[in-house]
Amino acid sequence: MGKEMDRRRFLKVLGVTSGGAAAVGCSTGTPEKLVPYLVPPENQIPGVATYYASTCRECPAGCGVHVRVREGRAVKVEGNPGSPFNGGKLCARGQASLQGLYNPDRLRGPMARGADGGLAPISWDDAYARIVERLGSTAGDRVAFVTGNESGTFDRLVNAWLTALGSQGRLVFEPFGYEALRYANQQVFGVDALPSYRFAEARYVLSFGSDFLETWINPVQNTREFAEAHSVTEEGMGRYVHIEPRMSMSGINADEWIAPNTGTEAVLALAIANVVLADHGGNAPSDVFRVRQLLEQYDPESAAGVCGVPAETIRRLAAEFSENSSLAIAGGMGNQHDQAHAAAAAVGILNYVAGNVGRTVVFGSDPDPGAGSTYRGLADLTQRMRDGGVDVLFVHGANPAYNAPSGLGFGEALGQVDLTVSFARVLDETAAHADLILPDHDPLEQWNDFEPRAGTYLLQQPVMQPVFDTRQTGDVLLALAGQLGASVAGRFSAQTYKEYLQAAWRTRQNQLGGRGVAFDDFWAASQQAGGVYQPEPTRAQRLDRNVGGLTFSSWSGIAGSGDLTLMAYPSSVFYDGRGASRPWLQELPDPVSKITWGSWVEIHPETAAEHGIVDGDFVEVTSAHGTAVAPAFLYPGIRRDVIAMPLGQGHSELGRYAQDRGANVYNLLSSEPTEFGGLSHYQAVSIRATGEHEVLASPAGRSRQMGRGIAQSTTYEHVEAGDAHPFHVEHAAEVPEAIEQVLDEWQAAQDRERAIGNYAGDHPRWGLAIDLSRCTGCSACVTACYSENNIPVVGKLGVQRGREMSWLRIERYFEGGEGDEPLTVEILPMMCQQCGHAPCEPVCPVFAAYHTSDGLNGQIYNRCVGTRYCSNNCPYKVRYFNWWDHSDENSAAHSFPEPLHLQLNPDVTVRDKGVMEKCTFCVQRIRGKQNQAVLEDREIADGEIMTACQQGCPADAITFGDLNDPNSAVSRLSQSDLGYRVLDGLNTDPGVTYLMRVRHTVEE
Amino acid sequence: MTGKVLPVAKGIVALALVGVVLYATFHAVQAQQTQTPPERFIAPVDVDTAGLPGPVQPIFYRHDVHAGQYEMDCLYCHYAAEVSSSPGLPSLDACMGCHLLVGGGNPEVAKLREAVNEGRPVEWVEVHKLPPFVHFPHMRHVLSDAEIECQDCHGEIERMPQVYQFASLKMGWCLECHETEEATTDCTACHY
Repeated sequence: MGKEMDRRRFLKVLGVTSGGAAAVGCSTGTPEKLVPYLVPPENQIPGVATYYASTCRECPAGCGVHVRVREGRAVKVEGNPGSPFNGGKLCARGQASLQGLYNPDRLRGPMARGADGGLAPISWDDAYARIVERLGSTAGDRVAFVTGNESGTFDRLVNAWLTALGSQGRLVFEPFGYEALRYANQQVFGVDALPSYRFAEARYVLSFGSDFLETWINPVQNTREFAEAHSVTEEGMGRYVHIEPRMSMSGINADEWIAPNTGTEAVLALAIANVVLADHGGNAPSDVFRVRQLLEQYDPESAAGVCGVPAETIRRLAAEFSENSSLAIAGGMGNQHDQAHAAAAAVGILNYVAGNVGRTVVFGSDPDPGAGSTYRGLADLTQRMRDGGVDVLFVHGANPAYNAPSGLGFGEALGQVDLTVSFARVLDETAAHADLILPDHDPLEQWNDFEPRAGTYLLQQPVMQPVFDTRQTGDVLLALAGQLGASVAGRFSAQTYKEYLQAAWRTRQNQLGGRGVAFDDFWAASQQAGGVYQPEPTRAQRLDRNVGGLTFSSWSGIAGSGDLTLMAYPSSVFYDGRGASRPWLQELPDPVSKITWGSWVEIHPETAAEHGIVDGDFVEVTSAHGTAVAPAFLYPGIRRDVIAMPLGQGHSELGRYAQDRGANVYNLLSSEPTEFGGLSHYQAVSIRATGEHEVLASPAGRSRQMGRGIAQSTTYEHVEAGDAHPFHVEHAAEVPEAIEQVLDEWQAAQDRERAIGNYAGDHPRWGLAIDLSRCTGCSACVTACYSENNIPVVGKLGVQRGREMSWLRIERYFEGGEGDEPLTVEILPMMCQQCGHAPCEPVCPVFAAYHTSDGLNGQIYNRCVGTRYCSNNCPYKVRYFNWWDHSDENSAAHSFPEPLHLQLNPDVTVRDKGVMEKCTFCVQRIRGKQNQAVLEDREIADGEIMTACQQGCPADAITFGDLNDPNSAVSRLSQSDLGYRVLDGLNTDPGVTYLMRVRHTVEE
Repeated sequence: MTGKVLPVAKGIVALALVGVVLYATFHAVQAQQTQTPPERFIAPVDVDTAGLPGPVQPIFYRHDVHAGQYEMDCLYCHYAAEVSSSPGLPSLDACMGCHLLVGGGNPEVAKLREAVNEGRPVEWVEVHKLPPFVHFPHMRHVLSDAEIECQDCHGEIERMPQVYQFASLKMGWCLECHETEEATTDCTACHY
């Protein structure tokens, strides 16, 4: 421990010191200690970043990451460009994995429940002894082990360990387990597996409720591939139609949104398939005869009555679907009601009759984000526990006491278990009921591997020393095995989990292309690449012979007690709630509602008006199973008979950032497993205004653009016709002569200045081009910016007061959506525009805001005296003022409680109270590359400097570079016919060019 | 150059002649050196520590002995100065590279060995400290065309028994040099 403390103090000194030191100035007045290493770590040079390849474990997707390590501590998580999934990109949740590592609420060592019922620290040896003693007197079949998705060596270790104990009590539990899809594929294709969906080859995507840009399978890969395939090329433009009662973030990116009657996706898909087969059956494989008779029952006219979608729309969708390289997907909320398997099966048939299976829907690699998990498995285990059938329960990487309907009573059933051992890293709802907590290493501290789909073997390696006295669960299991007598110990030759893992990799070395290489070299090479990526195996898939006998029903839940249908959807920010302990994610505005730090109820404005509800009114949602209360968010992107609430909040534990925040939507859901073994996330509910009200904690201002042309869009029709022109705001007022003269003089002064000092000679002008057609609003850039630039979080009250510090924000505007007018949602990332004629600069009395010779609006924190004139004069509202001391550990507003301060980027100053701050295109990255280029005596190549937002963006929407170089990518994009600059009528000459969003709409 | 090509034989003779001349010169220089050896710096054995400027360090490590008398290169210990913003601080492991064998009788070396044996790092007092809003890239200065020596900013370290802050490290002091050398004076070169 002593050594650990010293190391950390050393880091503190070398890293960014807290604001207090700033006052000292350039003297040795306050003694500050420099603590050297005893033994220098390998590959570490102070001041130079080292990157370690690993695998993100924030969700089951399996993205490759590069972790930037400075002076022995991880400071940023970035995508691994070598990963075939995420290709160097990373979503907000992946970026925030750093705050899992440094979470101030992490358990700092093993804990045991004492006689008084409270948790107290215990030594590892004592904890082991308690488990060994209890296991010694327990029959193997009374031991159960619950894990999350752990596909890989750890999964096999748990199974081998349980087998050695004589137990078969393994349960994998993922709250979003893809049960419906697997069940449907069993029915339609005879395989209990998921295919891989090739968005890269799909020019036409028909999504039946799938939030594939948010949480589904691998959202980063989906986004990358979708953005590419959907873009305008010489052959045309991709098209995406979203079918869901609610317009999710994915739905916002669709060219057309269709909101069918809730739970009728199956009928709609079958009707489309019917038309595809009847009218456009050219691509259909020979065995479609098996479904022909089935499909004939679903003619568009009768389907229209069920779904509420006009028959002509169904015919048009069918025609579009068969004319293009298409892909239909059923997932997300389309897969979460009690007839979701029917929807999934119908969509499977639709893909089959259009000839997509084998092209855009490819079986063989069997990706399984749910790792075979079913909700029914959890329900069965809970029953066994309640019946006293489980004596010892281990829980690792799952939180069933939160992620299951409250009616299931998993938490209470834990009371019937004699010894519950949790491996939680933060005290979660399940660990709160445990007798022993043996905190696991964070994924960034672990040796491990992960196999999200066949042919992909991903590796994790520790990127730094463990922050706390935690132990990797693999090591704990092996240590326990060693103490459990010869019959158990004899089965494991490895002493540590790393040995166990390496032994597993040794046996598959030849299979993974390491033949003829020393194992150490193979291991090192695999580690460096983040794993071994083999081509995905493929398998031809035919229809199951019994497919014709399937019956399809729609969800009938609305017949229940309520008058509205609730959709409880996975949050794109917190997924199933596991991200709620990360302050960056709490402060990240939801891409749709823009609400932070809490829950909300999405209600159509007309429905809300009927109930007398306005934005921010608290709404009590009641189902047959319970109630939940959250403020209303009036959203025109939802059906009038549907309300929606995001899952992920309402934790009773999970640390300071998540606890007692928002509503637990699981309270409202039925605990009864569905036919396919899943959990229905749809529920009949009634609503009532409680009479209380709050200001929504949302940084969004008006949701309408009021003709300002901020986020602009056009249609593909206009692009093709060559008449897609951005709208320019012109000032109606004539410029008075006197002003004209002042401007001329000012321009002359600028020109004179350009010939002296730093301004003389040629310079780059840094600029950004942002392609709104690619931007999905996913907000990965926002979290990347927080991480790179040490941006503090201000908390719910701070956001409510409009004090958020988000240098980069995603603006969201509604267009239409009133009456029968179709709704479109415009999104636009807004950061400092680095104006050529910046309104902020001339008003700064102390020259803290000034123009750099390379075209940035510099912001010099140590000069700033906090007049806020610059912010008042900024038309884009991208300057952020430190109203509180976020960097002072004694301040109530402190944003980096220990050890969260270790996440700080040492290349960026941590700002003090009273200082204005803003985006400077990651000037520290620009200067870093410039220094490097000078030392290497070379020019900077285009694309070499990447801003943090650009680097993270899964859709490649952001391009950074030199606008003065006519050949740079950013120059070429900025010349695009679709390019416009926000509020350019103000003559600010922004350095950011936006390319209008192009929608591939069709006329009915 | 006349542009005439020397025949090979003549060339060899010419080269040999040049060689002889060089050899003679070299010897003459060497002979001169033997006659008047340069004043080699010998650090004083006893120093009045009470009168020394600069903070008192937990171990009386003497730059004048290491960098002065033994002429150790600065980069031997501050190994990162040419590649990184940070000059690098020697690990105790690096100290023990020599002090495993030498200096055993010295009580200050004994402190070092004790710390290493206990696995306890030595907490040096920082002498040259910049405020956190300044980013100073050592490598750009050490390797700059301006041929900056460590001593230009840190003073005659190799004569200091105890290191003290030589320059003010104030921004005006930075800018003086940046202006004479026509280096950038852009604020965001250092402040970000």
